[in-house]
Amino acid sequence: MRYGFGYFEEDHLGQVADIGLWRRIIAYSRPHWGKVAGSIILSMIVIGASLALPYMVRIGIDRYVVNTTLESSARISGIGRLAALFIGVILAGFAANFYQVFILEWTGQTIMHQMRQQLFGHMLGLDLAFFNNNPSGKLVTRLTNDIQNMHEMFTSVIVTLFNDFFQIAGIMAILFWMNWRLALILSILLPLIVVSIGWFSRLARDAFRAIRTQLARINSFLQESLSGISIIQLFLRENDTHRKFVELSKAYLDQNLYQIKIFGIFMPAMEVFSALATGCIIWYGGGEVIRRHMTLGELVAFISYMRLFFQPVRELSQKYSIVQSAMASAERIFQLLDSRGTLPSPGEQDRQPDIRGVVDFRQVCFGYDAQQPILHDLSFTIAPGQTLAIVGATGSGKSTIVNLVERFYDPDSGTILIDGRDLRSFSTHWLRQQIGLVMQDVFIVPGTIRDNILLERDMDDQQLQGIVERAQLTAMVQRLPGGLATIIGEGGMDLSAGQKQLLAFARVLARDPRILILDEATSSVDSETEMLIDRAIDSTLANRTSIVIAHRLSTIKRAGHILVMEQGRIVEEGSHDSLMARGGIYRRLQDLQLNGHESRGQNDFRQNSEKNSVPTVWQKN
Amino acid sequence: MRGSRPLPDDASEKDRQSFPLRSLRLLLPFFRQYTARLIGGISALLLVDFLQLWMPRIIKRAVDELGSGTATEPGLLRYAGLILLLAAGIAVCRFTWRYLVLGFSRLLERDLRDHLLSHLLTLDRMFYQRHTTGEIMALTTNDLAAVQLASGMGLIAFVDAVVMTLAALAFMAYIHPMLTVIAVLPMPVLVFSTRLLSGSMHRRFKRVQEQFETLTEFARSTLGNIRLIKAYTQEGPQTEQFGRMGEEYIRNNLKVAVVQGILSPFSGLIANSCLLLVLFFGGRLTIQGVITVGDFVAFFSYLFMLTWPMMALGWVANLFQRGATSLGRIDRILQEKSLLEDRAAGPARPPSAGHITLNHLSFVFPGQTTPAIDDASMTIKPGIVGVVGKSGAGKSILCNILARLYPVADGTFFLDGADVNTLPLAAVRGSIAYVPQDTTLFSDTIGFNISLGKENASMAEIEEVARAASVHEEIMALPEGYQTRVGERGVKLSGGQRQRIALARALLLDRPIIIIDDGLSAVDMETEQAIIRSMASYLQGRTCIVVSHRVAPLADAGEILVMDQGRIAARGNHAFLFANNPFYAKIYTYQTTVGGRQG
Repeated sequence: MRYGFGYFEEDHLGQVADIGLWRRIIAYSRPHWGKVAGSIILSMIVIGASLALPYMVRIGIDRYVVNTTLESSARISGIGRLAALFIGVILAGFAANFYQVFILEWTGQTIMHQMRQQLFGHMLGLDLAFFNNNPSGKLVTRLTNDIQNMHEMFTSVIVTLFNDFFQIAGIMAILFWMNWRLALILSILLPLIVVSIGWFSRLARDAFRAIRTQLARINSFLQESLSGISIIQLFLRENDTHRKFVELSKAYLDQNLYQIKIFGIFMPAMEVFSALATGCIIWYGGGEVIRRHMTLGELVAFISYMRLFFQPVRELSQKYSIVQSAMASAERIFQLLDSRGTLPSPGEQDRQPDIRGVVDFRQVCFGYDAQQPILHDLSFTIAPGQTLAIVGATGSGKSTIVNLVERFYDPDSGTILIDGRDLRSFSTHWLRQQIGLVMQDVFIVPGTIRDNILLERDMDDQQLQGIVERAQLTAMVQRLPGGLATIIGEGGMDLSAGQKQLLAFARVLARDPRILILDEATSSVDSETEMLIDRAIDSTLANRTSIVIAHRLSTIKRAGHILVMEQGRIVEEGSHDSLMARGGIYRRLQDLQLNGHESRGQNDFRQNSEKNSVPTVWQKN
Repeated sequence: MRGSRPLPDDASEKDRQSFPLRSLRLLLPFFRQYTARLIGGISALLLVDFLQLWMPRIIKRAVDELGSGTATEPGLLRYAGLILLLAAGIAVCRFTWRYLVLGFSRLLERDLRDHLLSHLLTLDRMFYQRHTTGEIMALTTNDLAAVQLASGMGLIAFVDAVVMTLAALAFMAYIHPMLTVIAVLPMPVLVFSTRLLSGSMHRRFKRVQEQFETLTEFARSTLGNIRLIKAYTQEGPQTEQFGRMGEEYIRNNLKVAVVQGILSPFSGLIANSCLLLVLFFGGRLTIQGVITVGDFVAFFSYLFMLTWPMMALGWVANLFQRGATSLGRIDRILQEKSLLEDRAAGPARPPSAGHITLNHLSFVFPGQTTPAIDDASMTIKPGIVGVVGKSGAGKSILCNILARLYPVADGTFFLDGADVNTLPLAAVRGSIAYVPQDTTLFSDTIGFNISLGKENASMAEIEEVARAASVHEEIMALPEGYQTRVGERGVKLSGGQRQRIALARALLLDRPIIIIDDGLSAVDMETEQAIIRSMASYLQGRTCIVVSHRVAPLADAGEILVMDQGRIAARGNHAFLFANNPFYAKIYTYQTTVGGRQG
């Protein structure tokens, strides 16, 4: 993400000691066990090399530099041989280190990619009910930040953990082997170090969490202020905005200063421990040298090893917190992977070569949640090729009908039939391929206009040209520099709302489904585009069973049959003329749309246009 | 500087020229303000360095005594105690510099951020058209972080590295100059390679982040459109596409890994080469009796001490460079001046009559030749004025100009007879209530959003305007009524609801001029009608300018302006325009009849 602070959520923390979770994580790396094993071997080489070097220096000092029993020339040539060996070890360590980093990154990325793909595919297969309960922003963080957290653990922790473990264990072994008494004395420091690391990790984790939360607050405040800058300026809120921002900024500063203090205590504390160890070596180890229990070379080696010992120890606390957030992420990811869809589907075997397009609702009742029924005992039939318009206020259940026909949900009771067969007996995938849906929102896949019209289908240019024409896109395409090959969407050209609508019609025409659902846009497009959309609707509705959620009169009048809905019930139905004649709710709605002018009628209006038309509604009363 | 500064020019060229001196000037006041803190911090740092260099000398003395057999147990204990004492001193000083200098960088960051915001609040709409929110956000996050890092850790590492390098070299040279030269031969390679590699790593890493953002964006748009994805059975193709993006992401990451794989072991390689040189040549010198064993061991310690500063120098150079570039970017924003000059000389009282006069007003966006508003002249008195026209005809820009969001030339725009350029900005804006096309609500309660311009508004007042905007009942239907939070964690409001809340917010202001810039586009016709009815009494005696893409609701306005290509092409009441303006007649007929086919 842009702010690069990693991702965390406060609701529940992963348990580092959760064995089940570890088993599941490790299962992902099983196919790559060869590489993991390879990197562990490489890790041993790296550590071996880095530990061998001080040892070789020790040998050099003891055997050659201070060894007066040998002749000078022999001592010098001995040093030379050792130096040659030294070069070999350095190069081996370097090469091993490089390959280890690379193999690990590759393995980690591959595993994460596989996990991400699995998660993405799984999500797309879930029901809409699931998406209603989980905002897409949250799901996106599962795919990105949570996976990233896991990756962080895979590459920077798992292996360095091996490295660190080998290094600490190796150093301890060498120390005990060289002089177990001195090593034992140094081990007394261990509990001290462990306790202080534990204390520090907790404080540091909380401090970082507070910093991130505060930064997120600053950023969202800023984002909001910037996008609403003209409102702030017009409403003269500048001072107020500034004051709030300064408060947020101050809180962030305080969190940062607190974190500086914590690190300011921990880092030097480690230094003191290291000095304590060095002091012990000089005092007790020096005594051992005097008592001839230890060589001077060993003493020097002890000091070097102590330094190497504190390197991984210092980073241990940081790694612990990475593991912790990765475990929390893992838990969230697995939870998501374990969630299942609730719509039973008979699977792919059930294919019907052709449907006629009879849509039948029989006493359908439905509510998104059990307490709040939306549709009550709804029944209607649409004959093949017929257009049904549904009108009604927001919340009357129009969109719910669409959701049921697309089988995003199953009705609570009653049945929906297509060609006389229950919707539930079709595979959802196949079913949705028989239905075209045009909504106000249009999703753009990154690619050309052509890709966007065809989606995954294939079609020759001539057919495509026909579709472009019928969808009224010709003029737009001709204006574009690349024609149909123009890239749209992310990083390409932006389409206007109207153009997107036309694109959606082209999509339906390319798929040529038997059934069409049109959820008409309410948002504004200019009048010219509106005319184009009208023509596109004409060509798209032709010869298809259509359900139209209509807002504009021009669309409604096209329908052979109109349902007027109110609170999940059909309150009126019939043709436009019969409903107008009836003078009920429908009539009232249409009158409103014509804004009171319909009484004058268009022709009357022209005659009266010389006179001043009275601005009725704009005046008081 | 004022006025003489050229308008936006090529950014990259400016980067090179103005960096870093001019931008560094920006930091001077901060350095001055926090001088004591900085001096204290750097002194503590120097003390740490001094004590750290002393440490190997104690170890050397102890080893020498042990080597020559003159060591005694009490003497060793004394050395051990001294080491501990030294370490304690180091710890105290380290805490001090960390707190003072890192704290300085945080203070600097805070001050710059606050400064930046108060500047951003004064900038005009043209600035925000040139710079997206994302761009400015990047400035306040990434760039500010880069400056903070350079002025905190960067400063420390720089001072530390220079001092430690010089001191360690001096001590080594004191022991044996020639051996010192030989020992540090590989070091410059480390400095340059670190600099080179960390620069290249930064670039590659940026590409990784970009790809990560693409991936995020794709997931976001797919999951956000899940209904359509499912309706079009695009689950498979979308997953494949996502997979391809993921593979690209892997490739980018591996490119980083290659550099990283070289960079981190490389410093070890160089440090070990130095060790090797000392072992070989220093060993020979010791054998030949030129230096003592203690010298030999101390040499190793100093060498260890050099490794980190050498790595740091390469790293610091990049840090400084990035910090300076970022500072340059921040500086460029701070140098931006609002073109809306606030000549606060005029009366502070807002114009109250609501008379608007435009006198040959034209407006051209910088860098464009066709005027967005072309020679507009008109007088508007209290009453309702409708504005219609194709998209891009200049309706919205006209509204923005009237709301004083764009600069105008002297003598072209008058409010109650006074040239707006002579009036204080706050006074002009204080006389206008504005409902924009794209509604901005702040993530706070609905009540807060409505009372945005009038903090002390009573609940009764808020409810009254919400009723007038026909949104009261819908607000009451929400679980927490007016206390419901909108935005990310609150409920999602429909476009129509948001627009009506924005309308209520404007109505509450009780100002002589109200501008509705297509602010009811997402409301259905029935509701729009209801709103207009309930607003009618409120609008009495005020000047109300309404832009709408739907002509019908405007038909009753006292006057309608038809805009075309930045010009006021026609004006008059509905009847007049219907008879005389073919364009107007065409839209009206189309929108009020079936599909326009009969017309």
